Amino acid sequence: MTAPAVSVIIPTHNRRASLARTLDALARQTWPAGSIEVLVVADGCTDGTVEALRGRAVPFALRVLEQPGRGAATARNAGAAAAAAPLLLFIDDDVEPTPSLVAAHVRAHEGHADRVVLGPYPPVLPARPDLFRVGLRRWWQDHFTAAADVGHRFTYRDLLAGNLSISAGLYGRTGGFDPAFAGCGGEDWEYGVRLLDAGATFVFAPDALGYHHEASDHARSLRRARQEGRADVIIARRHAGLRPAVAFGRRESGRAAAESWTSVCVFRWPWVAVLLPAMITPLLGPLERLRLRRSWLRVSRALRGLAYWQGVRDELETWKALAGFLQNGPARPDEGPEATLNLRDGIAAAERRLDAERPAGARLRYGELPIGRIPPEAGAERLRGVHLRPALADRFAVPYLMALSFERALLDARQGS
Amino acid sequence: MPSAVVTVDLERIPPAIDGLDGYSRAFVYLTLRGRVVNQVRLPVRDGRLAGTDIHTAAARPDRYAVWDRWLRNHLECEEPGTSATGVRATVAVCTRERPDDLERCLAALEAMPDDGQEILVVDNARATEATHRVVTGHPRARYIREDRPGLNAARNRALAEASHEVVAFIDDDAVADPGWLRSLVRNFADPLVLCVTGLTLPLELETPAQEWQEILSPFGRGFDRRVFDTTVLSPPSAGLTGAGVNMALRRTVPALLGPFDEALDAGTVTRSGGDNEMFSRIIGAGYRIVYDPAALSWHRHRRSWPELRQAFYGYGAGVYAAWTRSLLFEGELHVLRTAYRWLLDHQLPSLARALLRRPGSAPLDLLLAELRGCAAGPWAYFVSRRRLRRRAA
Repeated sequence: MTAPAVSVIIPTHNRRASLARTLDALARQTWPAGSIEVLVVADGCTDGTVEALRGRAVPFALRVLEQPGRGAATARNAGAAAAAAPLLLFIDDDVEPTPSLVAAHVRAHEGHADRVVLGPYPPVLPARPDLFRVGLRRWWQDHFTAAADVGHRFTYRDLLAGNLSISAGLYGRTGGFDPAFAGCGGEDWEYGVRLLDAGATFVFAPDALGYHHEASDHARSLRRARQEGRADVIIARRHAGLRPAVAFGRRESGRAAAESWTSVCVFRWPWVAVLLPAMITPLLGPLERLRLRRSWLRVSRALRGLAYWQGVRDELETWKALAGFLQNGPARPDEGPEATLNLRDGIAAAERRLDAERPAGARLRYGELPIGRIPPEAGAERLRGVHLRPALADRFAVPYLMALSFERALLDARQGS
Repeated sequence: MPSAVVTVDLERIPPAIDGLDGYSRAFVYLTLRGRVVNQVRLPVRDGRLAGTDIHTAAARPDRYAVWDRWLRNHLECEEPGTSATGVRATVAVCTRERPDDLERCLAALEAMPDDGQEILVVDNARATEATHRVVTGHPRARYIREDRPGLNAARNRALAEASHEVVAFIDDDAVADPGWLRSLVRNFADPLVLCVTGLTLPLELETPAQEWQEILSPFGRGFDRRVFDTTVLSPPSAGLTGAGVNMALRRTVPALLGPFDEALDAGTVTRSGGDNEMFSRIIGAGYRIVYDPAALSWHRHRRSWPELRQAFYGYGAGVYAAWTRSLLFEGELHVLRTAYRWLLDHQLPSLARALLRRPGSAPLDLLLAELRGCAAGPWAYFVSRRRLRRRAA
């Protein structure tokens, strides 16, 4: 019996019907079933998942592991430890893969080592969703569309464990997911930080498409926002350099996120932070019925902001602790190596240098004229050649155009004289 | 006096353009590698358009589009979101008793590169065999006969008969640029995009009616690519996203959001508004519309003044009829505010300027025709629905 080429690892917790749908879809893959092994890790399941799996007829090798309710991170690690194939493919139990998903993941790894391949899994929604679902779908779809863009600079936030493949070797070397996140999620982002530090290359495979049968609602999304607040603190504690990158540590146009009314409210007057959502949540229904979409969006964002900061407060507890936390870390991301690129030597040459040196940041010049700076970004991958042209076309369009026309004007003047 | 329509490549501006006898001015469309990036109006003297005039106009580009396009050409870096490949399209031409226009339209469609597209001609409520004869002369086009009157009925039939995932509509009196279909189709990578609209410029400006149509109510929406959804505009303003003369929709749109409303648009009492209403529904349901000016087509505007007046009446009626449907059946309360703002910020000031005979003001009879149309719109919608129901019964 030949060893499988891919081990599909599915952590599951009390979602028997959804898991069945995922397994049916895995039975219809274009990649030969004999070369797939599926490991379902039942994490504290009490709905008969394990019994249902034992009786199932499947074309691929199916193994069931059980563990007493320890969380998705531990479940994925257990699955990885028991996997026989050199390639690990993580899929959530509510993601339904399209027939080409496994093949797309395998193809993306061919001929490359140390790659992390991410596949899209946008949510499946009814034709005319309510405003909450519209926002949810837009958020997910924009995330995947951005990741699919050639010039995208991957960050730790791109590492989503719902549709992800990684070689067993790389997984072992980097230690897998961290079980400390059992209560609050965010273990995938934290793993993303470690993978980028280890020099792994993130790649997006648009053909590795799955459909996410998301079952959340507004209340659940607020709970998740709170968990995200907690998770961000834990990640930032673990990786000091990440403080400027997490949502509560960011500074945008000179103003710190921690100065917003939501954070001040949650820390200074916690009773307001509890009372306010109770008062304004009932507004959402009427706003939606009256089609006042922008007002609905403002209220929804305020609620999520409050929930997020409550999560931060769950971990940091006092305003003093938050201030101390932010001040003790670096104000700016670690100054890694920065390359200085002279675009007059040609863009292709600059791209080759970026691919060879992989600097954390880059200073761009055109001859003597400065164009701009791509700063090092905490939690983001190092620069590659493909990042240059989109940056010039978008962020640095004006200074680049000015430099080019200045150059041409000088040239004309010289030729005229 | 008529105006000439001229395109000039900014990278190859000629010293002068001759052969424009009989024209007093020219609408000059400046292009970069085939993409229109700017428009200027220049005087024509003795049949000649001086190169220095073009240079002066081109040297002061007040449009971002010029710089953006030049830079992206130089860097060979296209806009994000325009990289869809392998999407096959059906081209649909809905037509009624315009054999000469249709002939020109089909000839231009067949000159486009072959990406596996099919061409459908929907003959709507035909009175003669003329359209059928034209289509027989073009073996690549498939003839479909739709006897239910109304442009939206024809559009629904085209969507039902199409075999590919995207259906691109072009009017029978329009002429597609060779890159038209490819430019539309490349925007469909994002699954939230249900509709892509393009830039439509005038084919000719021989009569005052055509000129005023282009000045007051052009089909174009600028030279910058834009993505619209509810974060950017409210559904009643969806007319800003494009025009039905140049649009592509996913074939799944009727299944998702319902078909085009057959009580609206040409061939019914409401005269127009069928495209606006669909755009409004797409935006309202949380999806996206992309306006891509690279998808270029040229439209022959109505030549005679009475036709133009009728057209303006039709625009007013169509917009208000579409808004009536949005308000009553989709619950879009924003219609009231949008209508109020349109009246106060645009229609009444234009009317005042026309009454006071300010220079450059619009012809009074056109504005009045539009206002009369607006007043008639809501009732026209109900009449149209009643007729539709009676026909179905």
